[in-house]
Amino acid sequence: MSDPTTTRLKSLIVTTLKLADIKPEDIPDDEPLIGSPRLGLDSIDALELVLVVEKEFGVKIGSSEESRQALGSVKALAAYLKAHQGNS
Amino acid sequence: MSAAADTFPSTIEACDCLTRFGDADRTAEALLLGRIALSLLPVLGRDGGDSVPLALMGPIDETLPPRWLGVLSRFASRIPAGKWGAPREPVVVTSSNFGIGSLYAFTRDRDARHIAHGTPFASVELLRRELGWGTQVQVFSHACVSAHLGLAHAARLLHADLVDRVLVFSHDFVSPFVAAGFHSLKILNGGMPAPFSDREIGSIGLGDGAGFAVLTRGAGPIRIAAHAMHNEMFHFTSNRPDGDGFGACARAIAAAAGGRSVWVKGHGTGTLEAGRLEAVELARQFPGAPLVSWKGSLGHTLGSCGMVELAVTLAALRTGRVPGTVGATAPCFTDNVALEPFAAGAFDAVVLTSNAFGGAHAAMLLCHD
Repeated sequence: MSDPTTTRLKSLIVTTLKLADIKPEDIPDDEPLIGSPRLGLDSIDALELVLVVEKEFGVKIGSSEESRQALGSVKALAAYLKAHQGNS
Repeated sequence: MSAAADTFPSTIEACDCLTRFGDADRTAEALLLGRIALSLLPVLGRDGGDSVPLALMGPIDETLPPRWLGVLSRFASRIPAGKWGAPREPVVVTSSNFGIGSLYAFTRDRDARHIAHGTPFASVELLRRELGWGTQVQVFSHACVSAHLGLAHAARLLHADLVDRVLVFSHDFVSPFVAAGFHSLKILNGGMPAPFSDREIGSIGLGDGAGFAVLTRGAGPIRIAAHAMHNEMFHFTSNRPDGDGFGACARAIAAAAGGRSVWVKGHGTGTLEAGRLEAVELARQFPGAPLVSWKGSLGHTLGSCGMVELAVTLAALRTGRVPGTVGATAPCFTDNVALEPFAAGAFDAVVLTSNAFGGAHAAMLLCHD
């Protein structure tokens, strides 16, 4: 059974970035979010995604280095959120 | 591939700047003492937000008339007399953000009087009238290499004998709009910048800055001997990972330097990825040349940084002491990073570099007898 945070994140990614040809369930948990040929996300997409995630989850990502780490994959982002929720 | 540098020498008749510390001499003096102009302030000014490193000449919130107008008007009294804005003595104004703070203020307060100063040409026209310049005012803007482009353009005008003297005037004042933009990119955060330091988390600071240079034709005792410019055309917010964007510009200016003994005033904002690429490529092209950045103290003065740092460089040459990389600590990305002040006398030229969003790179070679 999939983790509710990863499921929510995948939906957010698809809707926020308007990924027309990709369904949330098509995004593997471990696939790199930035630089993946399948997703085709760039740094501007990353910025948009970070802003939405911060708002939705009430978490602040403090630096570009943390942002890069958090956006390593859906799994990494979910882990980051779990570790930081309640800290902001 | 590197385009060859422009080698149209222009003499610097006068040059000065304005930072949080004051003019170029005061700024150089403060840097030599290791003082840091940045302090942690709310990113959105009166609207609060996270605290980030800013070096401002006044409150960040825009005013009526715009907060930069009076500051620049007083600063302009230092410009040598001339028929500025006349056909043979044009003015080149460079900025990254011009009056963007006024557009933000309008959006926030809905006071229509802000709109008159918000767009680039409207802000320059306001400045032109305030300072009594003629109509020959040219405007250049290319993010944080804006001042370099203005100086390079002036050198080309002089070389082509289209003009006799050029006043290049650069300014950028931080607004909540600009600070929040860098903050949302996560490169302006709660940490103080430490340019070229090899650490876990990077951060930049932002600073208000203004500067001018009066250039004349030919090779005087203090001259800009060459300009190099290069655009990677790689990505808006990131550099080629192999560093060749930095390398292309550095190679061109190194060729123009022709083996002179130089020190390098780098861009060095405090970001990690670009800082590493820059330090490595400059060390490769200028082996053994000390590399400094002053943005760990002054903050990144955006489009004016090339002019501000040129004026500080000239002030350092007058005193014979070059400020080190204030705010940085070892370990650094490369061994050439100078953390402490050093004597200018051992060198006969300076390379000054700036980089910008969109993969733009610029460098100039400053020679002195």
